[in-house]
Amino acid sequence: MRILLVEDDPLVSDAIVRGLATAGYVVDAVVDAESVQGRLDTTHYDLAIVDLGLPGEDGFALVRRLRRDGSPLPLLIVTARDGLDDRVNALDLGADDYLVKPFALPELAARCRALIRRATAATANEMVVGRLRIDLAGRRAIDDTGRVLELTRREWSILECLAHHSGRVVSKERLIQAIVSWDEEISGNAIEVHVSRLRAKLGEAATVRGIRGLGYRLDDA
Amino acid sequence: MPSSVKPKRAPSIRGRLLVYLLLPLVVLMTASIWADHSTFVTPMYESFDRALSRAAVAIAAHVQQAPDGKLYVERLDNNSIPLRPPGDRPLPPPGDNPYQRRGPPMRFDPTTGPMVWMRLYPGARDSFLYRVSLPDGQTLAGDQGLPIAQGNAVDNLTYSDTTYKQLDLRIVSYQTTVGGEAIVVTVGETVHHRNVVVRRLDTVIGLSDGIQLLLVLGLCLFGITVALRPINRLRDQIMRRQPQSLQPLPLEPVPGEVRPLVESLNTLLVTVRDSTLAQQHFLTNAAHQLRTPLTGLKAQLEVLANETQDSSQQERITRLQGSVDRLAHTANQLLALARAEPSAHGPGDFVAIQLDTLIGAVIDSMLDRALIHNIDLGAEYVPAQVHGVYWLLHELLINLLDNAIRHTPDGGNITLRCGLHHGSPYLEVEDSGPGIPAAERERVRERFYRAAGSDGQSSGLGLAIVEEIVRSHRARFEILDAHEGNGARMRIEFPAHA
Repeated sequence: MRILLVEDDPLVSDAIVRGLATAGYVVDAVVDAESVQGRLDTTHYDLAIVDLGLPGEDGFALVRRLRRDGSPLPLLIVTARDGLDDRVNALDLGADDYLVKPFALPELAARCRALIRRATAATANEMVVGRLRIDLAGRRAIDDTGRVLELTRREWSILECLAHHSGRVVSKERLIQAIVSWDEEISGNAIEVHVSRLRAKLGEAATVRGIRGLGYRLDDA
Repeated sequence: MPSSVKPKRAPSIRGRLLVYLLLPLVVLMTASIWADHSTFVTPMYESFDRALSRAAVAIAAHVQQAPDGKLYVERLDNNSIPLRPPGDRPLPPPGDNPYQRRGPPMRFDPTTGPMVWMRLYPGARDSFLYRVSLPDGQTLAGDQGLPIAQGNAVDNLTYSDTTYKQLDLRIVSYQTTVGGEAIVVTVGETVHHRNVVVRRLDTVIGLSDGIQLLLVLGLCLFGITVALRPINRLRDQIMRRQPQSLQPLPLEPVPGEVRPLVESLNTLLVTVRDSTLAQQHFLTNAAHQLRTPLTGLKAQLEVLANETQDSSQQERITRLQGSVDRLAHTANQLLALARAEPSAHGPGDFVAIQLDTLIGAVIDSMLDRALIHNIDLGAEYVPAQVHGVYWLLHELLINLLDNAIRHTPDGGNITLRCGLHHGSPYLEVEDSGPGIPAAERERVRERFYRAAGSDGQSSGLGLAIVEEIVRSHRARFEILDAHEGNGARMRIEFPAHA
């Protein structure tokens, strides 16, 4: 997995390159937005990490330009600003996620993993969560021993919905919407039953965590 | 406290205008009634007096001298019955008002009186008395007791007011000579009629002046209302504005007198807006300048920790990381505090916010920290909406939750709540920690206050940030006891319909 980092501060840049290398990513770092196009023309990247406060053309302009040119590259914004306007603006312009400085390297790595996973799901129709491989086209889940899990239609829908938002809390209402058609009625209790069965089938491969009063989150282990 | 003291009612321009117009108008009307009264009353009395004097002169014309030199009053009609003094008959009771009677007054003998009456003073309706006397006081005819008018005579006529037999009389004495002998003819009449005429005229004048005054008042009211309309429009415009709005007021419909006021207000608004922008700009820069090196430092230490095998160095790095984390936390808190100040955000930042969505977002971002401490983090919510600045409320909830996680022992639980209480939206964070003693609840809101036994990680700014954000949202922040156990329950109550 190859990541392009656009960050002008050498200390931050160096740390990110080393930190993500430990997590298994190859990171190319550039210091300004003007150098980005040259890199993109010659190399395939799975993700770009863009600092908003760049000298010259800033992060906003870069995001806008990339999206205008039709680049499908997943974009993670890192910013020292925390005003809502900045976040909304960046997401509106086409960034996929944002992280406010200062952040911990594991958090950055987790965000990168989630973004790349999502992008892969769109192209390769496959997702990996923990030790679970989810085949979106074949509608099946395979654990690390190669065993195909036997899931009911609803259990599969729940897993698919959680996997698409893995690492994020998915509300019960949203899960209900994901698994039922418009003429069906289903209660919150029924969801709990489906989730507990799914949990049993997943075993150690991935964890479905219940958040009291809110919903569920799919975690790696 | 300012809220308990009822503010004194501000004087209104409209009220002042009315008072200052009304008082002179009333004085003016009184003066005009008085002037009208004195203008008509003198000529009217004079004409009454003239009529009376004509009666005296007419009576004098009937005084003849007998061949023996004695004076007598001649007979008046074909029956040759001499005029009898009316004083021989008793006066009518005081309640007998001649105006309520149609017909001749009862005073006179039906055979003589009315004839004299009619001839002397046709149409008169007052009681009428007369006396013909000599200068030495001897009465030749008429009412012997009738006083004679004293004073300066004009054309031999002397007028006077007097009271006789409990009647208010106007009398006139006419001095003349008959056959060389001086006589005084005195005629008196009661003043009812002239008084009634004066009263009627006064009533008419008073009524007409009163109606005029009411009309003028009405016109004044109308004029004042119309004249004050631009000012009222301005007032409405100002009251309709969002309290945080810094938009200049329009100058167009504003009258010249208030224009300088609006202009200086606009200047002030522009100044405030400029300084708000400057502060926002400053904070953005400060945030960038503080956070970028901290990010570098923090990330470098993490990399270093991963690469170092030596355990003693590892320990130092961990200590350094702790310090850097604390520094980053404090920098974040200070920035948040500065950002929470009302001058740091504009009215455009206030939007409708679903509190349940906010709780979801905050739990999402803090869940991992809670899981590290094995804390059961949950939510209980009823959909509720407030008008606020999203990232400030986000910051508020993060701070409350951060505080709760710090003070809740491992394995405890924290619940975020939102809903409506009597129409007011509220947010609550309840933990299963040790709680905050009632005596400390005020002090923990102060900046940099750190409770005894708190860990080194706390900057002492968390609740001060909450307090600041609560103030900018006109909300109320309370520290209460948990519903269950002895933990703390932080409650933010927003104004209803905000």
